[in-house]
Amino acid sequence: MWRKAILLSLREKKVFTIFTLIYTILIFLTSLFWQLAFSRDLEGAGYFLAIFFGTSLFLSLLYAWILVSRKRRVWATFKCIGYTNKNILALVSGMILFTTFIGFIVVIEILFHYTAALSYLHSENFLLDLNEILIGLIPVIITSALFIIVQLLAFIVAYRKVLKVRPIIALKKVGE
Amino acid sequence: MSDKDIMIEAIDVNKEYRRAGAIIRALADVNLRIKSGEFAIVQGPTGCGKSTLLNVLSGLDLPDSGRIIFDGENIARATEDRLSRLRRQKIGFVFQDFNLVNTLTAIENVEAVLWPTVLRQKEIENRAISALRDVNLLDRKDHYPVQMSGGEQQRCAIARAVIHRPRVILADEPSGNLDPASEKEVMDLLKKINKDLETTVIVVTHRDLSKYGTKTIHMDNGRITKIQ
Repeated sequence: MWRKAILLSLREKKVFTIFTLIYTILIFLTSLFWQLAFSRDLEGAGYFLAIFFGTSLFLSLLYAWILVSRKRRVWATFKCIGYTNKNILALVSGMILFTTFIGFIVVIEILFHYTAALSYLHSENFLLDLNEILIGLIPVIITSALFIIVQLLAFIVAYRKVLKVRPIIALKKVGE
Repeated sequence: MSDKDIMIEAIDVNKEYRRAGAIIRALADVNLRIKSGEFAIVQGPTGCGKSTLLNVLSGLDLPDSGRIIFDGENIARATEDRLSRLRRQKIGFVFQDFNLVNTLTAIENVEAVLWPTVLRQKEIENRAISALRDVNLLDRKDHYPVQMSGGEQQRCAIARAVIHRPRVILADEPSGNLDPASEKEVMDLLKKINKDLETTVIVVTHRDLSKYGTKTIHMDNGRITKIQ
């Protein structure tokens, strides 16, 4: 079912792109503030971290809500053709997790390019005052792991909403 | 007729709805027996209770009283998970609005029924190709629903309904959104499935499609008025 969740995510191009972009920015900023908190370079970094995690929680809930609510008729049809609530939850959870995972990959990719570009410039003695490593791997991994834990709450919300989708909706005529 | 021959039986089934404060009796003391391999047409005017009958026969809705015996099992009080599994194993649905997933291609829509099963992807794909070939839609397998006509979408929905080889196909106004030529095509297809696979087919319609059925059930005001 996870592979099918990935397929469904990729086909929902607009929603997938928007949420991947938002997750990428959030993971990047949260990781950066973890880095600053670790190195004690910024006072009050903890407050920013709390804000980013709060935003991440809100977004995860919003994403779960959008995935279930906007596609109620699809999930109702799936129930008609024999899907259990758990089958549908597996699809929705997979879609949310995949989006976060791609956000994580994009952040890593950006950091790789940043380091590569600076190393290249340093070879010609440009921008020597900038650190080649913008954010270490550990803060990024910690952030991504915590984001996934936060999403467990979104799964609970999604499950409660999936339970409420009655298969009979699929038989209602469009516009009824 | 032995009990083994009976695929679905409704016994003293009643169902009421509340709408704008008024109580509407959608099904009133309905008793019905559909034999295995029958092609039953349930017809009647809009609001006569035929869709409600289809809903309770398939376990999508529960009757207020009475029993629904589906292939020997009373489903009127079954759990939601049990009903889901029953639908996955024994029932194929065909909807008036086709209900295909717009972001999936024709073959993916057909395959979706078998995604939660333990079958390997290759086996699922082979079955989907076979089902699409049976409805003469193999050349459209990679098309999205929006790229297909209404008749083609309904044929795709029929392929989806038969891929898991169900014992019963329940069709709610399957030709309601189709032109007469597509209607004939879809009904002929359901007839062929009924004949070749010995699948029990129940079609709910407000049109006169009795020529396709082996049994026609007329409904009015929540009651069965005549069985031919």
